Amino acid sequence: MKTCKTCWSRRDFLFRSGGGISGLALAHLLNQDKLLADEIVNSAACEAKAIGFNPYAPKPTHFKPRATAVISLFMSGGVSHVDTFDPKPALTKYAGQPLDGKVAGDVIVRQGHPGPLMPSPFQFKKYGRSGIEVSDLFPNIGGHVDEIAFVRSVFGQSNDHVQATYEMQTGQVRMGFPSLGSWVTYGLGSENASLPAYVVIQDGRGGPLGGVNDWSSGFIPASYQGTLFRSTGDPIVDLKPPSGTVSEAQQRARLDLLAKLNELDMQQYPGNSDLAARISSYELAYRMQSCAPDALDITKESEATRKLYGLDDKITEPFGRQCLMARRLVEHGVRFVQLFHGGMGNQNTDTWDAHGDVKANHSQHAAESDRPIAGLLTDLKSRGLLESTLIIWHGEFGRMPISQRGVGRDHNPGAMTVWMAGAGIKGGQAIGASDEFGYKAEQQPTSYHDLHATILHLLGIDHKKLTYRFNGRDMRLTDVYGVPIPQIVA
Amino acid sequence: MIRQTLVASLLGVWGFAATAAVTQDTGVPSAARNYWAFKLPVQAPVPDVAVGLDNPIDRFLERTRQTKGLDRAPRAPRLTLLRRAYLDLVGLPPSPAEAAAFLADTSPDAWEKLIDTLLASPHYGERWGRHWLDVARYADSSGFEQDYDRPNAWRYRDYVIRAFNQDKPYDVFLKEQIAGDELDTTTDETFIATGFLRAGPRVAFREKDNPERRYEYLDDLIATTGRGVLGLTVQCARCHNHKFDPIPQRDYYSLVATFFGYVETTHPLVPRAEADAYEKKLRDIEARQAPLKAEVKKIEAPYEAKLRQESYKKFPEGVQRAIAKPEGERTPGEQLLAQQVIEGAAVGRREIDRIMTPDDAARKKAVADRIAALDKEKPKPIPVAEIVTDGDYRFAPDGEGDEVIGCPKCRITDATGTFLHDGPGKYEAPPSYFLIRGDPNAKGSVMKPGFVTAATYGNPPIEIPPADGRTSGRRRALAEWLVSPQNPLTARVIVNRIWHHHFGRGIVATLDNFGKMGDAPTHPELLDYLAVEFMKGGGRGPQRGSRDGVPWSIKRMHRLIMTSEAYRMASAFENAADREKDPQNQYLWRFRAQRLDAEVVRDSILAASGGINLTIGGPPVFPPLPKELMTEANHGIWKTQTDGPDVWRRSVYVYRKRGLAFPMFQVFDLPEQNVASAARYVSTVPTQALTLLNDAFVLRHAQLFAERVKSEAGDDPARQIDLAYRIALTRPPSQTELAIAWDATRTGSLVDFTHVLLNVNEFVYAR
Repeated sequence: MKTCKTCWSRRDFLFRSGGGISGLALAHLLNQDKLLADEIVNSAACEAKAIGFNPYAPKPTHFKPRATAVISLFMSGGVSHVDTFDPKPALTKYAGQPLDGKVAGDVIVRQGHPGPLMPSPFQFKKYGRSGIEVSDLFPNIGGHVDEIAFVRSVFGQSNDHVQATYEMQTGQVRMGFPSLGSWVTYGLGSENASLPAYVVIQDGRGGPLGGVNDWSSGFIPASYQGTLFRSTGDPIVDLKPPSGTVSEAQQRARLDLLAKLNELDMQQYPGNSDLAARISSYELAYRMQSCAPDALDITKESEATRKLYGLDDKITEPFGRQCLMARRLVEHGVRFVQLFHGGMGNQNTDTWDAHGDVKANHSQHAAESDRPIAGLLTDLKSRGLLESTLIIWHGEFGRMPISQRGVGRDHNPGAMTVWMAGAGIKGGQAIGASDEFGYKAEQQPTSYHDLHATILHLLGIDHKKLTYRFNGRDMRLTDVYGVPIPQIVA
Repeated sequence: MIRQTLVASLLGVWGFAATAAVTQDTGVPSAARNYWAFKLPVQAPVPDVAVGLDNPIDRFLERTRQTKGLDRAPRAPRLTLLRRAYLDLVGLPPSPAEAAAFLADTSPDAWEKLIDTLLASPHYGERWGRHWLDVARYADSSGFEQDYDRPNAWRYRDYVIRAFNQDKPYDVFLKEQIAGDELDTTTDETFIATGFLRAGPRVAFREKDNPERRYEYLDDLIATTGRGVLGLTVQCARCHNHKFDPIPQRDYYSLVATFFGYVETTHPLVPRAEADAYEKKLRDIEARQAPLKAEVKKIEAPYEAKLRQESYKKFPEGVQRAIAKPEGERTPGEQLLAQQVIEGAAVGRREIDRIMTPDDAARKKAVADRIAALDKEKPKPIPVAEIVTDGDYRFAPDGEGDEVIGCPKCRITDATGTFLHDGPGKYEAPPSYFLIRGDPNAKGSVMKPGFVTAATYGNPPIEIPPADGRTSGRRRALAEWLVSPQNPLTARVIVNRIWHHHFGRGIVATLDNFGKMGDAPTHPELLDYLAVEFMKGGGRGPQRGSRDGVPWSIKRMHRLIMTSEAYRMASAFENAADREKDPQNQYLWRFRAQRLDAEVVRDSILAASGGINLTIGGPPVFPPLPKELMTEANHGIWKTQTDGPDVWRRSVYVYRKRGLAFPMFQVFDLPEQNVASAARYVSTVPTQALTLLNDAFVLRHAQLFAERVKSEAGDDPARQIDLAYRIALTRPPSQTELAIAWDATRTGSLVDFTHVLLNVNEFVYAR
């Protein structure tokens, strides 16, 4: 069916969805009034299912999914793989020697001139049955290696933070493309109509480089963009009126008046789905006001759980809070939770961007995130949620095996380690390899497109079939590239 | 590597690459023009539908309706039409007084007069200029990591608004934006217009050191011109021939060559002599300051050297040892370390001051005072426009954000030349190459400038150099080609955009894609009729008016469309048979009610409260943002102003920051700000409801709205409610509505009711 592709009305949207990837039942269209009415009646429940014209209505997958939710742990600034999950004895062997001449081509760095090869200031140790080596930065995550698949051969296109972040988030180094979370919610819809399907919680020290474009919906409908939740106070901007302005009773009275006037108006436009959807959206908004804070209310957690995430320590508390919120959101049916660790207050100390001193920088950031992340894995597992939740850990690029002024490391898009857990992933394995120095991906080089294809695959989506018509093309998250990593699942 | 494999696998898919009928020269098959969009538009006879419809638009539409068996809606009530016309043309609802005046005008041409009045309003350009700014991917900041402020970007925004208000013919409008520096007569205005070319996102690291970025920017120019002006996805032919449309990769690189000379610079907005005098004075003062600055450096030097040595001590022992060694004795690794540390060492001026002896500090202060005194003599900066002209980007002066990154040895040192052409002789654009698979490192042959072959008739010039020889005249040639009556696309694309904004859907629904993967026109003959009518400005003018006979007049097109019966049909019209046959109302059996654009939602709230500040033009404003969002704004600027009339300007004047979309606009479907926009998407999501229910801005204006109603209507609740309806919805309440509202204000307050009026469906729709 050929329909308007760029200026959809909700109706167009539904028709397209019906004929396209979503397969949203047309029966919903025919029964819209009844269904919307039903939903309003059921409005008390925070677990309300999305129905009717809601763009978040759940949609069938291409094949059986291994996971139904994603928690993405974005380590902003770029983590050094050779100091964390990709041990390189050659750095000690050739310490102090130039890399130029040992590898093909010119060694290109982001800042100034290249320095000599620098050994990791951290010790590596084998963990678990698999014996995968992890540096002493992550003793707690180390305890989970048998649940984790490490991809040691990921490479990107840009050594610029923002462009690399865009590439990790959208598959493109340019601005203007939909983010992974947007594609996922577009492809799967949501299990819960009282909460946004795609939630972003950023570091309290500031947003990541690239800003809102990191969770933008690009050219797909704005309804699929990430919703920014705060980790303290009211989670959403404008969730509640400013204090002292409108009381709860007043607001309810206004909503009732609004409903009466809108219903009168509807009589002139019988069957107008846009207007009906708008009426319904006010009830959803009303529900969200109580459901969103409830979903994030970590005071409901036991002392043991809070401790598991490191809420008892002021170093681990901020990211622990983000991780715990992520688990609660997934429990409440949120499809995609994007966490950022590291924010641009002071880029050198507040993110993983270790130009100045990799030991000091990475020690601090690992200390902030190791316990919370391990706690999240433990907690999800004990609640039986790890099987249905994909955890993915990454930065925007890796770091150089050579030093910056003897102590720091510059950006390296040539190689990085990304790990995944949950979602039926086969843990305790290292996939691919970087070269002897960790300078470039060597065995099974894995692009960001490959990662995206893998993530969609685990969610039951064929990355080649998840398309949106724009610019005269059926656009994909993976453009014309991408192959799911074959050995990632058991 | 990946691309290579891909290209190989796709070879078979490129239809025309594999077909026999490929013209030797162009790579475009001779059959390519057998597609409607590449044929020149021709006016078919206006159908004789014999139902008393005069406007040719109605006759074309009615014939299609008759073919499809559709009944059309009757005319909408006059107040509905009044509100529709206001929201459409000026983006503001009519005031109660304006509504009363319209109702009182019972003359047969009251509607035509209303349209004329609205088209003459200075607020018309603010509304319709905004549509063009969507195409121009306009923003006030550069985007990417630094998101630099563009302090003069607004001059282009105001140029667009003025152009619409003046009804600048669209052909002139395009020529100024693409080649305003190359026209026979150039003015400040035409230079400002070239801001179109640089309105897109830019990293701002310099292109001479990062050639791949230059190709990204060229792609932005080609994509914006292609999708925005031609309705073609030319940018799809960057790495390979277009997969669906007859656009070979050669065409893409011909366009690259057309733009390749472009550089970004500033243009003084004062008379040349004044600008020269300013520059001279500035240089004189700087020359007098130079020896003083050297003197300061000399005083600081021993302290700086001392601190520099000290700063090495914080590095590990190995680094210190490397620095201490004479250069010749360092190992290759030590050489790298020493170079990094020595070059990277920066000593803060404050630290130097801290350790200076009082004598030296006093000496330094005396010199610094003389520098400061000279600073005061510096002339006030002159206003400038940020423009595009031809030059050689490899010699661009260092600017904000320019730094040698990545590969210092990539920096060009051997070539000689100047940034802007300063004679003697004619300007020559730097060579531009065909890039194999789009790879900047895989250069093919040198390209001549050119256009989209399939849309080119005859043999138009590819360079029209200006007499003064300052530029290549390639962009001028492109602009002339775009607006030639022999161009099959330009007029169709703009009349279709105009149609879209009036009716909520284009005759071609994909505004930016007239190619095979776009939508076919629902009324091809009507589209062509309008395109030809637009270009020739001749034929029968719709109504009286000064713009009759003016070619490429957008205002004339508004008149023609808005005086049709189609535009005046009711949207509140149900017909089960019509709905069955045409559920999407593609064939216009009724008017399509449209959710207001984000900017119009905010402007309507300001208009209802009476707080709106209707000042026209000037630098952008910064309304307060929720403080939790400010953490995202830590690059670039957001100079928050106090909430009040200074920022209650129309939304077109709110600062457009690429790194942080204004939340109220974003929630109401602000389009992507980084690429030429197609039609805006309309979503209905709960966060919109939350904004209108809870946002401090909305609550404040609901309060002001209530106060306004009280002061204008007095204490009588019925009169208050009546007035509030007329202000917000351009109509009196029905008896039922009055009763419901009265009840609500009795148990609650007037502001409960005014707030609800800003939330009702009717308020955010043009019907």
